[in-house]
Amino acid sequence: MSQEHIEHAIRKEYAAGFTTDIESDTLPPGLNEDTIRFISGRKNEPEWLLEWRLQAYRDWLQMAEPAWAHVNYPPVKFNEISYFSSPKAMKDRPQSLDEVDPQLIETYNKLGIPLHEQAALAGVAVDAVFDSVSVTTTFREKLWEAGVIFCSISEAVHDYPELIKKYLGSVVPRKDNFYAALNSAVFSDGSFVYIPKGVRCPMELSTYFRINEANTGQFERTLIVADEGSHVSYLEGCTAPMRDENQLHAAVVELVALDGAEIKYSTVQNWYPGDAEGKGGIYNFVTKRGVAHRDSKISWTQVETGSAITWKYPSCILRGDNSVGEFYSVALTNNAQQADTGTKMIHLGKNTRSTIISKGISAGKSSNAYRGLVRMSPRAEGARNYTQCDSLLIGDRCAAHTFPYIESRNPSAVIEHEATTSKVSDDQLYLCQQRGLDAEKAVSMIVNGFCKEVFRELPMEFAMEAGKLLEVSLEGSVG
Amino acid sequence: MLKIDNLHASVENKAILKGLDLAVGAGEVHAIMGPNGSGKSTLGHVLAGRPGYTVTAGSAQLLGQDLLTLDTEERAHLGLFLAYQYPVEIPGVSNMEFLKASVDAVREHRNEPALDSVSFMKQAREACKAVNLDQAFLKRGVNEGFSGGEKKRNELMQMMLLAPKLCIMDETDSGLDIDALQVVADGINAMRSPDRSFILVTHYQRLLNFIKPDRVHVLSGGRIVKSGDHSLALELEERGYAWLEDVA
Amino acid sequence: MNDFMQQALAAASRSAPPWLEPLQARGREAWSNTSMPTRKTEAWKYTSLQALQKTFSAAPTQAAGSPLGDVPLPKLSGPTLVFTDGHYRADLSTTELPAGLRLVRFADATRDQAERIAAALGSAILPGRHVFAPLNDATLTDGVFMDVAANTRIETPVHIAWLTTGQNESISVTQRLLVSLGENSGATLVESFANTATGGTAFTNGLTELLIGRGAQLNHYRLHLEQGDVVHIGGVHARQEADSTLNGFHLALGSALKRIDLVVNHQGAGAHCSLDGLYLPRGTETVDYHTCIEHAVPHCTSRERFRGIIADEASAVFNGRIHIHPQAQKTRAELSNKNLLTSNKAEINTKPELEIYADDVQCAHGATVAQLDPLTLHYLRTRGVPRDEAEVMLSYGFINELVEAVEQAELQAFLKPLLARRFARDSRLTRHIL
Ligand SMILES: Nc1ncnc2c1ncn2[C@@H]1O[C@H](COP(=O)(O)OP(=O)(O)OP(=O)(O)O)[C@@H](O)[C@H]1O
Ligand SMILES: [Mg+2]
Repeated sequence: MSQEHIEHAIRKEYAAGFTTDIESDTLPPGLNEDTIRFISGRKNEPEWLLEWRLQAYRDWLQMAEPAWAHVNYPPVKFNEISYFSSPKAMKDRPQSLDEVDPQLIETYNKLGIPLHEQAALAGVAVDAVFDSVSVTTTFREKLWEAGVIFCSISEAVHDYPELIKKYLGSVVPRKDNFYAALNSAVFSDGSFVYIPKGVRCPMELSTYFRINEANTGQFERTLIVADEGSHVSYLEGCTAPMRDENQLHAAVVELVALDGAEIKYSTVQNWYPGDAEGKGGIYNFVTKRGVAHRDSKISWTQVETGSAITWKYPSCILRGDNSVGEFYSVALTNNAQQADTGTKMIHLGKNTRSTIISKGISAGKSSNAYRGLVRMSPRAEGARNYTQCDSLLIGDRCAAHTFPYIESRNPSAVIEHEATTSKVSDDQLYLCQQRGLDAEKAVSMIVNGFCKEVFRELPMEFAMEAGKLLEVSLEGSVG
Repeated sequence: MLKIDNLHASVENKAILKGLDLAVGAGEVHAIMGPNGSGKSTLGHVLAGRPGYTVTAGSAQLLGQDLLTLDTEERAHLGLFLAYQYPVEIPGVSNMEFLKASVDAVREHRNEPALDSVSFMKQAREACKAVNLDQAFLKRGVNEGFSGGEKKRNELMQMMLLAPKLCIMDETDSGLDIDALQVVADGINAMRSPDRSFILVTHYQRLLNFIKPDRVHVLSGGRIVKSGDHSLALELEERGYAWLEDVA
Repeated sequence: MNDFMQQALAAASRSAPPWLEPLQARGREAWSNTSMPTRKTEAWKYTSLQALQKTFSAAPTQAAGSPLGDVPLPKLSGPTLVFTDGHYRADLSTTELPAGLRLVRFADATRDQAERIAAALGSAILPGRHVFAPLNDATLTDGVFMDVAANTRIETPVHIAWLTTGQNESISVTQRLLVSLGENSGATLVESFANTATGGTAFTNGLTELLIGRGAQLNHYRLHLEQGDVVHIGGVHARQEADSTLNGFHLALGSALKRIDLVVNHQGAGAHCSLDGLYLPRGTETVDYHTCIEHAVPHCTSRERFRGIIADEASAVFNGRIHIHPQAQKTRAELSNKNLLTSNKAEINTKPELEIYADDVQCAHGATVAQLDPLTLHYLRTRGVPRDEAEVMLSYGFINELVEAVEQAELQAFLKPLLARRFARDSRLTRHIL
């Protein structure tokens, strides 16, 4: 296959890169204690939560931005970001879908969010977070019958204060890291899920995040508590419009799987990656962590194709005996994107098990790093980990890295780690071409094959979407 | 030789053997057949004392001694030998070193003098020849990269060198080509003697054409559900196990 | 900087040959600008330098002429240079050299040799890649230059033994070896580090530079046999020209602390290196190997195999980095690191790293941590092998592959019993291995 042939590729614009023209109510840029008081005030928050935020802010001021990740970017000017933006028409929350601004509905339709009837067909309950405010939650009734709570975190603060007080910050402490502290100070909204004892959530839960306003940061916070023996599958999707400036997204996700519970958390992340030259795009600095109690299971699946910079390590603290942690990841970087992503599996309990399957694909002049930690504590009798990390390079200007930290202090724990690197070979391309496929299609096929162990873990309807997303993200990368 | 009464055993809290009785006299050859997952290999492992296999009731005696209270190596010293269905690979430990360590240990417990390396080598070479394995296998890691059939023959070679009293052969005939099957059968027949007994676990009656069993048992659901002479094996070959479920 | 280091610097500047002074001065300058690594320094995340808080006095200026007693050293049939506490011991050395080989002590160097040595020293060390290199430079008073002429194959192994005797309470010793292999030459080099049974504490800083010319092949064995309170911080830095080969074998028995950095820099296409390594700390010992292969040019290959057995309350660190530069197309690199923990208090931290900036490459690494496999142990026992002997056989089996790969026969004969006895003193338990 000739180089020239491969170069022959179509560039396609970021498919989700439209902005929505809605009047919104945005706080001027800047961050100080008043900003936090404003946010808290707007949400009518109880005093304890304001205090909690202020404490986080004060901690944050003492902390330094982490520099260890394998990414490069000019320092973020935290004072030029607006920390609150809510679509104006939403000041009084709509009581039903009919009251939602039609333009907003249009936006969701463009994004392909199954919000309306489609949602019912797909069996998906959606909590859509637009910039920072949760717009509407569908299917609340049906979930209510099952006893499942699925609402925005601001509502939960009012409606379920004991649960929030008990679990907020219990997995990712307020000052866990620089971005988590920032999020704790300024988080504007997010989703809250509670599955009662023994309940199998009757449908997939889903949240879509979208940053719309210029110069805004998004700091959502998700908290999922699965009570004993319960089961839930949750999916989040993310998009943002094309803008020349970088935008900051610093979310925190906390999962609590109590004894015998199971949480499956899937992410399809397609924030705006910036243009081919690396101008613009989202800085995706996210802290995601779950605590798994006895006999429980937490499974993270992520397909990361967006963002200028990704910095996230969805992790499992396997606290209870026999608990299970899983991490299935596809991270694709193209053009000037940079990703430093992976997971941490902290084995504390006996007979805990973890599996890590990470597939990194680098194209263009992007940089893609897997960074993972597997730790066997002295108590983790009989624990096991299996890790497989594969990198695929497309083109000779990209970079792929693997930084696995493996720490064991228990002789009966078994750890196996493997990593490989390969490229899409000319032979593979040639073979595909002989079968009548063009170079683009061939690469996309090979990449899809490379990722199949991860796609298999996604809820059905999103596996398709993920495959398409890779195809779109890879456009223009062959050569 | 071997006497098992009402043996109950479980693996990972799952009951597998549920009241198994079996008596094997000196010099006898017994065949055990039975559907997949019925507990045949479990029986061998329980007798050999594999970790993770718990005896919950019953008894097993070898040559009048209670097997179940002994350590694994003590059972071997007493004369128990289990040829594995799936022999273990040990990279880094040579077959020769492994064989010599076993033979020395067993001889020591029989109060026999240790073999010097020359006579040991001679025996090892002869055993290799008897099971039709090239001598190069002595230098390789134990079972490391051996083919399925080579592993089985390696098990047989160990058995020849250790000269045990009771040989349990767990599907030693599976995965062998016709010539290898003949080799294995010849090897076993050559070892038959009035003070040595065999339990042959097999799915195929063809092995029993080469080695005539005194008794044939059917193990199903963790118990011996039927016993008979060689003709039972022929009947099983023809009719399968389904009819027995009704009988049992 | 610790007081003892100040002292060592002062002592060094008094006793070095004059031509080393500029190097010492540069070292002093760089060292004064170096801050001691802490647990926050990525490359020292798992290893504390607490052991250096002790006071070590500068090594005595005179060689102690005492016999060595029972230092476990390989006896090899080639030239042998022995240093005790940093001083050359003519009485213990044999210096008959085959044609094409020169072994020059820095203290003895002629003007021409001194010029060559001064120009080459430090040239194999990539800037900033060895924190303790400036200290070595600054305190350097003697060392060895091994020079192999082009197109010469030296058959007999060259053995350089660095010993500490513990005659003084606790001393700090600087060791330096510079090796140059001319084009298409070949040699075998054995470096052993050991201390005498009388013990004593020592801080040794041993730095080896390997300059391997085009088409040349070096077999390099570096054996760290020190025991007890010895703290060793050292490294091997290699620069390989086109089509050259480096076969490295590294062994570290434990002592209070050993930190060894191995950096191989492939400067010419077609270079190959293989690094095998064993670390066997026990008690409260710590061994830390940091390896890095810099694939800077196309068509090079590397293979690394490190195995560790960590016993008692010991800890080990392995960090294996493979760095493939943008030009280094067609590189093939593989690394395997396997670890056995044999006690509830033992600890291993391993990090095999890939950093890749070229696409047409084949790289793989793997790491495992476990204890002896219970079912394998059981299999041996079903054959009558007693449990304790089976454990010894399997432990030795875990490292056997690398021991068998040691090509130098005399060295292998030395290593086998040494290693087997690591797992059991009772010869009954090792009789089938040896
Ligand atoms: N470690 C284990 N954990 C859980 N179940 C086990 C374990 N080992 C064996 N079993 C189960 O015990 C049952 C009996 O197994 P066993 O190997 O004894 O069967 P078998 O009669 O030898 O079968 P085959 O003819 O296929 O060799 C099976 O259901 C098997 O799955
Ligand atoms: Mg079986």
